[in-house]
Amino acid sequence: MARGVMLMSGGIDSPVAMHYLLRQGHELLAVHMDNRPFTDDSPLSKVVDHLTILRERYRQPIPLYVVPHGSTQITLMRETDRHVGCVLCRRFMWRSAERVAEREGATFLVTGEALGQVASQTLSNMRSATASVHLPIVRPLIGLDKQEIEAVARSIGTYEISTRPGVCCQAVPDKPATRSNLVQILREEERLDVEQIIDDCVRKAVIL
Amino acid sequence: MYRTLRLCSSGGGFEALPEPPRPVDLARIRAALESAHVPVLDARVMLIATLEVEVTISRAGRLLFKTADPAIADRAFARLRPLLEGGAPGGGPAGHD
Repeated sequence: MARGVMLMSGGIDSPVAMHYLLRQGHELLAVHMDNRPFTDDSPLSKVVDHLTILRERYRQPIPLYVVPHGSTQITLMRETDRHVGCVLCRRFMWRSAERVAEREGATFLVTGEALGQVASQTLSNMRSATASVHLPIVRPLIGLDKQEIEAVARSIGTYEISTRPGVCCQAVPDKPATRSNLVQILREEERLDVEQIIDDCVRKAVIL
Repeated sequence: MYRTLRLCSSGGGFEALPEPPRPVDLARIRAALESAHVPVLDARVMLIATLEVEVTISRAGRLLFKTADPAIADRAFARLRPLLEGGAPGGGPAGHD
C-alpha cells in the first residue's frame, strides 16, 4: 500500500478521512499546521488525541509533524489581500504537507475536505489551493454530508474530541472569497518569498 | 462602548464587542499598549496583545480572550477596556452576559 501525508486540523473531518485510508491499509503520516497565536492550543491537543485513538485502532505509528504556521499567517495578513486569505493559507498548508511528503518518501496527500461545508471549500477555492502542489490529493470525504461524517466520527470515538471547546481561527477574514481566481492568487504570492517561508516553517517542525 | 464579556461560539474563549459596533484605530491601540509595556504583535488587520492571557483585537473592535476561565478573561478585559475606550489601562472587573 502507498504512503501518504494527511493534513490534520483537530476538526471532525480529518480523523474520519484518516480512518478510511488506514482501514484500507495505507501507511500515513500526519501534518498539523499550528496556527497559534491565531488559535489556542486546543487544535493541537485534539490532533494528538485523535492520533492516539487511530494509532491504537490500526496499530500504526502515524508520526505527527507539527508545522508552525502563525508567522506565515502574519505575513499573509501584512502583505496580501485579506479577501483571499483562506486560499493563500491553504496553499501554504499544502506546500508544507508536500515538503514533508518529499522528506518522508510519501506519494500522495490526504485531506478531510468535503464540498461546501465552509466558505473556503468551494471547487474554485480547492482548485486554487491545490494548484500549489504536484502530488495527487485524496479526499475520502468529498461526497459525504456532515451527518454521515459525524456518524463515522462517533463510531470511531473521535467526535467528542473534535467538539471540545476551542478558539476558532482568528485569521479567517470577515468575508472570505468563495470563488477565487488563480491568476489573482498567483499575483498576491508574487509579493512573498514562498520558498523561504516554507523552508522556515518545515525546518521548525516538531515531530511527535 | 464595551459592556459585556461573553463566551464565544466555539466555547474556547471569551469575546467582547463594541456597542454600538465601531471600528477601532489599531495604530493608536498598539501605541497605547506599548506605552503600558504590554507585549503586542501587529498583524496589520489585528493586534495580539499578551496580558495575563492572549487577546486578539480586530479592526472591527472585537476582542477575543483566549481562555475559558472567566476570572482571567475578566481581569484582562478590565485592563484593556479603558485603553480601548480612550483612557489609560486599568479599571475594575467586567460584567458577564
